[in-house]
Amino acid sequence: MRVELEAAYVLHARAYRETSLLLEAFSLQHGRVGLVARGVRGARSRTRALLQPFQPVLLSWRGGGELATLSGVEAAGPALALQGERLLGGLYANELLLTLVARDDAQPALFAHYQALCAALAAGTPIEVALRVFERDLLDALGYRLLLAQAADGSPLQAALRYRYVADEGAHPASGVDDGVPVAGASLLALGRGELADAAARADAKRLLRAQLERLLNGRRLRTRELARALLGGARGEPATSSIPEGAHRR
Amino acid sequence: MEALRCLPGVGPKSASRMAFHLVERDRVGAERLAHALLAAAEGVRHCRRCRNLSEAELCSVCADPARDASLLCVVETPADVLAIEQATGFRGQYFVLMGRLSPLDGIGPSELGLDRLEARLDEGQVRELILATNPTVEGEATAHYLAMLARERGIRSTRIAHGVPMGGELEYIDGGTLAHAFSGRREV
Ligand SMILES: [Zn+2]
Repeated sequence: MRVELEAAYVLHARAYRETSLLLEAFSLQHGRVGLVARGVRGARSRTRALLQPFQPVLLSWRGGGELATLSGVEAAGPALALQGERLLGGLYANELLLTLVARDDAQPALFAHYQALCAALAAGTPIEVALRVFERDLLDALGYRLLLAQAADGSPLQAALRYRYVADEGAHPASGVDDGVPVAGASLLALGRGELADAAARADAKRLLRAQLERLLNGRRLRTRELARALLGGARGEPATSSIPEGAHRR
Repeated sequence: MEALRCLPGVGPKSASRMAFHLVERDRVGAERLAHALLAAAEGVRHCRRCRNLSEAELCSVCADPARDASLLCVVETPADVLAIEQATGFRGQYFVLMGRLSPLDGIGPSELGLDRLEARLDEGQVRELILATNPTVEGEATAHYLAMLARERGIRSTRIAHGVPMGGELEYIDGGTLAHAFSGRREV
């Protein structure tokens, strides 16, 4: 297979052999792909800078299967200068894609959502809002769309009512069920609009999305989430990162 | 010849060239090399204080009383220390991470042993933490994390500037570097 100048982002790059990189990229028409970029780690390589996350690129590659070979890269726009917390937010989105999206599964809508997230992070949208909207869209793309306009019984959601959101069913009036995630009607509507203006809506959205993502993660840990927690916890005596999983290593 | 292949950038051809040179033309050099390598392999360890490679328990920088302990420069590798020592007049001390935070590779603060750096900051001597990690996504994430550790303790942190290489021409520089250099412009 030969792919020419495909719009993409590198999600993760890791050193491979002496001068090469192993890339996990997310592309518009081919979804997630694994690529090996040979000979790009030399001191004078200009390619290397383009193979960083959050740099929109056009990638060309040959071959298929688990690992194709990168044959060309061009910038498709300026790199997004994400820093600090915004950078961590971007890495969290990358980890979500790496963990939840299968390779070679075209996801053009999700690609657009990812692009929108990167733009929002770079533009100064509140990080929490940008990430919640992306999580919502990610669930949608993976086939787990949240119902954010109607209740489980099909009636329009009422902003003033309290609900419990039950996975695969939707929001039930809080008085009717015991399971699910408790959430205000106003918060569900706000998440649907992508405007989480107040703290209550953000907290509700976070809990709701977290619960849905947790089902898909199925016990897998998100290392970027642990890093963010370690930062919030003052990084001191916080057990978030203390258990070292198999396969973790120093370099 | 096989043994030389463990060196980076040495393929079968150059390995045989080196081996023939050492054995045929420079036996003395070959023996000196062998001794030096043996001594290094047996004697080199990590400095107790900065984790740089060292033959003694304390490396020459940490053991030097003239170095300013209030300036602590954090780098990713021992090679970075060498580069800074050779290129700059830096008179402070170092802390070598031996890597960088890379959550997607499973390398978090504990895998990197950042508690050692925190302990160093808690000693109270450091006034400025100089963040000289690489200008990669992981290097930036690491710098952010370390800046937070410094901030918690009321220690000033600075990030080394990234930009256009000396002698470079703007038109040949990649967009990311140029954008960084542009946003980091300063008054002249
Ligand atoms: Zn030392």
